[in-house]
This record gives sequence, structure tokens and C-alpha cells, in this order.
Amino acid sequence: MIGSAPVRPPVAAGVDAPTAYRRPAMRAWRDVLRFALLCVLALLFLMPIYWMIATSLKTEAAAVAQPVQWWPHEPTLENYRTILASPNAPFLRWTWNSLFTSTAFAGLSVLLAVLTAYPLSRMRFRGRDTWFWAILSSMMIPGVIFLIPHYLMMIRFDWIDTYHALIWPGLPAAFGVFLMRQFFVSIPREVEEAARIDGANSLQILVFVLLPFLTAPMATLALFQFMASWNNYVWPLFVVHGEMQTLPVAITSFSSRYWTAYGKLMAGTAIASLPILIAFLFTQRYFIRGMSLTGLKDE
Amino acid sequence: MALAPPPARRRRRHATGGPAWVPYAYLLPHAVLFVVFIVYPVAFGVYVSLHRWNILSDVQRYVGLEFYARLVTPGTPQFAFFWKTMGNTALFTAITVPALLLSALGLALLLDRPIPGRAFFRAVFFLPTILAVSVMGLTWRWMFENQTGLVNILLDLIPFTQAMPFLTNVGWAWVPIVVGTIWWTVGFNMILYGAALAAIPRVYYEAAMIDGAGAWAQFRHITWPQLNPVTLFALVTTTIASFQLFGQPHVITSGGPLRTTQSVMMFITEEAFSNFQFASAAAMSVFFGLLLLLVTGLQFRMTLRDLGRGVR
Repeated sequence: MIGSAPVRPPVAAGVDAPTAYRRPAMRAWRDVLRFALLCVLALLFLMPIYWMIATSLKTEAAAVAQPVQWWPHEPTLENYRTILASPNAPFLRWTWNSLFTSTAFAGLSVLLAVLTAYPLSRMRFRGRDTWFWAILSSMMIPGVIFLIPHYLMMIRFDWIDTYHALIWPGLPAAFGVFLMRQFFVSIPREVEEAARIDGANSLQILVFVLLPFLTAPMATLALFQFMASWNNYVWPLFVVHGEMQTLPVAITSFSSRYWTAYGKLMAGTAIASLPILIAFLFTQRYFIRGMSLTGLKDE
Repeated sequence: MALAPPPARRRRRHATGGPAWVPYAYLLPHAVLFVVFIVYPVAFGVYVSLHRWNILSDVQRYVGLEFYARLVTPGTPQFAFFWKTMGNTALFTAITVPALLLSALGLALLLDRPIPGRAFFRAVFFLPTILAVSVMGLTWRWMFENQTGLVNILLDLIPFTQAMPFLTNVGWAWVPIVVGTIWWTVGFNMILYGAALAAIPRVYYEAAMIDGAGAWAQFRHITWPQLNPVTLFALVTTTIASFQLFGQPHVITSGGPLRTTQSVMMFITEEAFSNFQFASAAAMSVFFGLLLLLVTGLQFRMTLRDLGRGVR
């Protein structure tokens, strides 16, 4: 084994047989270093979240105390109680707004994507490819183009400060159709032949034959659309106000009231991120697999 | 004679799913929304930009390209602020895009080979991406708070560094925004790179090792070229996202101090929703959108290539 390496002249400078000979020990050392580096980075990554939660559990005086309190010396839920009881910060209502509109958006997105991708991938008809191209081309249009016309349309529709404004305008985006179509075409054609011979119509074939193959991508799409809607910022910032606001947007407007009361601000951000953090704990494998599966961001 | 469809074809169409109108029925709901919320708004936006738009009036006066002309005429406030915020956005993009690609690649490489707790580490680095921009923004504003922020407390403790009023200092105000953005979004590209790294055949490295290539040579001549498609994809999508910068400066610095961290998107919304100059904002959107189209066009071409791979 040692003899085999020097037979060829080394390609890179400074690399020769002893390196290969030393490798197992070096690799072990490198793995220890790598692990240590990962631990440091993980601490850095978790620090802001730790600090958010730690601050939320301190009194306002303790939050800015000198010297700094690395952990809450006298932990208290006072900040949470104060903001949840505040009449001009209806946190439950904001949470419900976000939950309802994000769920509706995700559900309708998946439904639309399935209904649209189905004929585009498994039926023959006139204009099919043209229409698919039209949908696909819309992916190119930068989002900024829609902001002003959509807003003026919302005024015209009388949809300002309604759930409609948060749900409908973003629904026909091409992403879902494109994603579902990719999965539809991967299902072998034979699986629906038998059903068709038995006299099933296209809707029965879709529901009973094809959809069972598509539960994983549908769940992934629903998850992504839910997150996209939940975390949407620019649009809800301008189309909904007051108690109609979504939670993530509401905590910024809430922040202008408590500009430097960081104990309460961090309690607000903790409340706003808790549902998502918990959901992530249970779905993170799925999430990360979905990310690499689609290779797409929600932007 | 030539117009009559051959009977064989009609029978086949019948065989693939009932009456001929069936596929169109499936397409209808999406098509309606598509026309109302995608096709129409593009045309409507251009229409608005050509008028002096007053939301309280029923009649809108046609002004032609006046609002576009302002964007290229020095001396108008639109010219001054549009290009200033455009410069800010370009600066942000120039800093964050390379930083995001390199740090994502770094994390992906650290996690490439098995190590105890690999899934945990991956989840931790991905975790911030699921947070809303306002949550991320408020947290980092607190971290970088001028007097009592954790970053300044640490800078005071570390020798040779000192506290710095980041949020109100021209230039330094970018630090919380950039650091926060990297923390918030690096997980996306890390996952993309991770999947691409796992897909590189191990035999390449084995062959290189037999040839005596060291770690750097392996990275330079195998890993990096193999990652080219992902790098290009990440580069384009990250650039598009960076140019549409809005939430981070909106929450962390409100665009200050002195508009030095205001992005184009922030100025467009200010023009529309604070100054009620909808036509001017629409003109800027179209102008800015056309510039972005150069980048999104690239993304579109890559999607098409994926499509070709996936379908046939």
C-alpha cells in the first residue's frame, strides 16, 4: 500500500507517500477539530434565540442591567402577561389571522396546483404546451411589479383589511403548478390504464389512482406555502391594519409602541415564533428533505 | 377536407379522459386567478405609471412617460432617492451574496462527512430560515442595541475592541443588517450545497487520492467544478432575493441613519403608501422590475433545463 503511492509522480506540490500513510490519525484529529468548530458555530447560531427568550423572561430593569445578566436571575412571565393583556395588542386575534390565512393559502395552493398540473401532465389537448409555457413564463416576473397594481385592485375590490387580500392575489403563482407537474409526469402511465379500462372517469383516476403517489410532494408544497404566507411581510404590512394584521407584521407595529422595552418586545417575538419553532421541531427532517427535493426557495 | 380531423386521432383523445372539454375544466380555476392576479396587474401597473394617479378620483390624467423621465433626470427628488436607494441595495447585494454563498458552502463542507450530531447541526443552521423577518429583525436590533446590546457587551469585554453605536452610525448600520441576513438565510444554500456534495461520486476522490492529490487539490479540481450548477443557481436566486431587500432594514434601522440603509423596495413603498404617488411608484416598479428581469431570466433558463432533465 505504501509502495503503490509513489509509483506515479505526485500531482499536487507537497503531497507524497507519508501523507497517505499518516492519513487515519490526521483524519481523526481533523474530525475532532471539525466537531469543535461545529459546536462553536451552533452556539453562535443559537445565541440570538437564547438571548430573545432570556430577555423575555427578565424585568425591563434586568434586561438592561449592568453588569449583564447572562441568564434571568429572577425569571418572570410578567412581560408575557402584560402584552397578552394589553387591549391594543390583540395577540390571539393576530395569531388567528396568520393561522387562518396561511392555512387557507396553503390548502388552496395545493388544490389549484394539483388541478392545474393534472391535465398539463397527463392529458392531451389543444394549447396544452402553450398554456404551460405561459404559466412558466410568469415565474420570470419580479414580485415588485405586482405591488402597486395589486394594492390598487384591493381598493377597487374593497378588500383592504380583509382575509381575501391575504389569500387570493398570491395563489396563481407558477411555483406550485411547476412542482406538482414534475411529480405527475414521474408516475408511470400504466397505473391509470387499468382504472380507465374499468371505466373510471378522470376525476376518479386523479383522486383514487394518482393522488396516493403524490402525498409527499403535496405535503411539502403545503408546508412551503404555509411558511411563505406566514412569513410574508411587505404585502400584509400595507393591505391589513390594526386587529386584521398578521402576527409577524403586527409585532413590528407593536414594537413602535415599546420601542426600547426589550423585555416586552422579546416576549412578543417569542410568541410570534413559538408556533413555527414547535412545528419545525416536528417536521424539520421533512422540511430539509423537501428543500433539497425541490431545490427551490420560497422567494 | 383537410380541416376534418382524422377519426383515429379523435378516438385516441376520447380514450385519454372523457369529453374534449374535460382538461379545460380542470384548468379553469387557476386560469381565472392567473388572468386576474398576474396577467392583468402587469398591464394595469404599466397603465398606472403612465397617468397621474389619484386614488380618490375617477378620472386619471394621462401623462405619458413623465414619471419614467424623472428617474433619469438629475435634480428631481425621485431621481435622487431612487438612485441613492438603488446604490444602497447594490451595496447590500455585493456584500451579502458572496458572503452567503461562501458561508453556505463552508457549512455544507463541514457537514459533508459523517460526524456525531450531524442532523442536529444541520437543523440548527437551518432553523433561522423559518423565522419571520420581523422576528429576526427585532432580535438582531436588540443584539446590536447601541448601549445594552449583547454584541456591544461582548465587544467591551474583548480586549482591543470597543462598543460601537451600530444602529445610528453611517456605514456601521449595515453590520446588523448583513449579519442578521446571513444568520437568517444561510440555511437555504447550505441545504442546496449539501445535497450537491452528497451527489458527487466518491470514486472521483478515490482516483484523485491514488494520484496523490491533497485536500485542496481535490476541492479545487473535483468538488468546486462539480458544484458549478448549484453555485450558479444559488448565485442567481440569492441575487434576486437580495435586490428585493425590504424587511431587514425596515425592522432593524428603518432605513436610517440618513437613508443610508434604505433599499429600493423601501423607497417604492414610501412613494406609494406615504407620499401617495402611486404612478411614480408604479413607474419605479416597472423600471426596477425590468432591471431584475435580467437576473430572473437567467433563473428561468435554469428552470427550463431542470424541466428537460425531469421530464424526458
